[in-house]
Amino acid sequence: MSALQVSQLSVNYEKTPVLWDINFAIPQGKLVGIIGPNGAGKSTLMKAVIGLITPISGKVDFFTKSLKQMRNSIAYVPQRESVDWDFPVTILDLVVMGSYGSLPLFKRPGKQEYLKAENYLKKVGLFELKDRQISQLSGGQQQRAFIARALMQDAQIYFLDEPFAGIDHSSEKIIIDILKKLTKENKTIFVVHHDLNTVESYYEWVILLNMRLIGCGETKEVFTNKNLQSAYGKNFSLFDDAIKLSKKISTGLD
Amino acid sequence: MESPLNFFFDPILRAPTLGSMLMCLTASLVGVIVFLRKRSLLGESLSHASYPGVILGVVIAGYIGLSDQNEAVLSLLVLIGGFFSALLGLYSINFLENNLKIKADSALCVILSTFFGVGITLASFVQFNYTNLYRQVQSYLYGQAATMTDINVIIYGILTIFVIVTILLFLKEIQVLTFDRIFSKTIGIPIVVIDMIFFILIVLAVIIGIRSVGVVLMSAMFIAPASAARQYTNSFSKMFIIAGFFGLLCGFLGNYLSVEISQYLAHIYPNERVSIPTGPLIVLIASLVCFWSLLFAPRQGLLFRIVRIAKFKLQTLEENVLKTLWRRGEPLTLKDIQAYQNGNIFTMWWILNLLQKRKFIAKSSHTYYLTDIGKIVAAKIVRLHRLWEVYLANYLEIGVEKVHKSAEEMEHVLTPELEKELTAFLQDPVLDPHHQPIPAK
Repeated sequence: MSALQVSQLSVNYEKTPVLWDINFAIPQGKLVGIIGPNGAGKSTLMKAVIGLITPISGKVDFFTKSLKQMRNSIAYVPQRESVDWDFPVTILDLVVMGSYGSLPLFKRPGKQEYLKAENYLKKVGLFELKDRQISQLSGGQQQRAFIARALMQDAQIYFLDEPFAGIDHSSEKIIIDILKKLTKENKTIFVVHHDLNTVESYYEWVILLNMRLIGCGETKEVFTNKNLQSAYGKNFSLFDDAIKLSKKISTGLD
Repeated sequence: MESPLNFFFDPILRAPTLGSMLMCLTASLVGVIVFLRKRSLLGESLSHASYPGVILGVVIAGYIGLSDQNEAVLSLLVLIGGFFSALLGLYSINFLENNLKIKADSALCVILSTFFGVGITLASFVQFNYTNLYRQVQSYLYGQAATMTDINVIIYGILTIFVIVTILLFLKEIQVLTFDRIFSKTIGIPIVVIDMIFFILIVLAVIIGIRSVGVVLMSAMFIAPASAARQYTNSFSKMFIIAGFFGLLCGFLGNYLSVEISQYLAHIYPNERVSIPTGPLIVLIASLVCFWSLLFAPRQGLLFRIVRIAKFKLQTLEENVLKTLWRRGEPLTLKDIQAYQNGNIFTMWWILNLLQKRKFIAKSSHTYYLTDIGKIVAAKIVRLHRLWEVYLANYLEIGVEKVHKSAEEMEHVLTPELEKELTAFLQDPVLDPHHQPIPAK
């Protein structure tokens, strides 16, 4: 049984197609990188899968169930810029919001939720900052707070939209460690990812996109030069040269 | 001089006072949501959009032959008219924005002026056809709290309780939807329902409010208490409490001062008929509360920010003096030290005294030198400076000649946590880009 099965998914913005006939299936417990050039539709794919955008066609199943049935088992971490960081909430409040989806209407989060949130803040190393207003965090800390909110949701499947964009090294390391640990608990995780240098060390699986699906499978099989060439086109050859050069220099070869 | 308590019991004073307080409370609470959603103009447009409905209510009252003595029925007709007219305004705004793709600010302005224009036209119809009701029409334009009766208070009380209960019940949904709309959609928050509730709350606050402050000044009561409250707290729920308190305060003081000032003026100018209107006074007080908070709130107020900036400047000067002494490595006179700084001789003398008090430096005859503690502190500043230079030059690839200026600033800013992170990241370097040694930690 696949954790996520997408069949014949197509998305249009106005009348321009953004994603075209996407089909793939991902087994449970994988850390999956969604890779592709700018404008390839990586975020769009994620949004269409979790129902933030209505596709013009296609079917999405989570463990053979529909999104509606599985809503409480899905956690989404939006891009950091999508929220108002001046909003009057503390870091602890932000994390507690992760419990709102499973609380019934009219019920306010209680002691139990707050204790749980504090626990997750410890995991991402923000416990000491829990009472600060969210704008007082650095970019990496804000992203970690978002991760803690997602953990709070106790989901089966996690979707993260560019969690590593513009954050510091130690935050990136904390986050990737948490994600890897989650896959050991058989959670399935999708990450929109930009930095091609780290793909091989981070992800077991990749989905390679450029409006259509270029490849989906284990990283060592899909993350190949040939596939990257067809995803990134001419732009990629320059990147490839630069990477080779940097590898040569950093290992001291001439 | 009336006792302030009298305003709650006196049969003539209590209705305007309680009515205004209820109105201000509702507007302030709903205002918190309006403010955080950044939809201030929506309040302005909807209050104007309610005006034609209000007048229509008066016209109907005139048509069925009511006089302004039938306060209860008249109030209800006006409220219902205003409610539906504001809802129609809201629907029109959404239609313009979503279906005709008109920009939000244009749509709001079009609806504001169109509806208000229709209202004014209807008002002149009332003036000529139902002259005895024209006073009613006027009172909703700029507000007329003084003529409120107990019946108004009862109606407004019920509506206020409804608004408070609604906000309490949906607090969690309102919070998450206002903060992170996309996320709330993914966790299954009924966005359409909560949005509808938000709009109805605004419309209710408007129709309660226009009797006290009028359609023209209404939007101030949404924004002023909320933006004042924001200065005092970083908590969503506390913001409601503080804004609500400010609202109650403005409502009360508006009435109290309007009566007191009017009486005082009547006393000095016995031949003139001067009276200070309540509605505009409420709005003025709310603006003062807001202005005061922006200037003097403890954490974010302008005054305290200026104090903190001055403190930082002083700290910078102190640290620069320590650095000078450390670099030169010999006792220096006041004049020598001043030559390196951009403060005048008096400031330098004062700073040297402060540093002496903190035992960072000591004085012998006319020269100053670093104490042992002073040496440690100075070395730490130089260390931060040079670490930052290494970081800029090696990792951000900024030219060596440019890094000094930025480091000059950052040495006073970097926290111990950042220093630790930098040290680890740069693998504890020993030389800066100018080949100067970096003092060990």
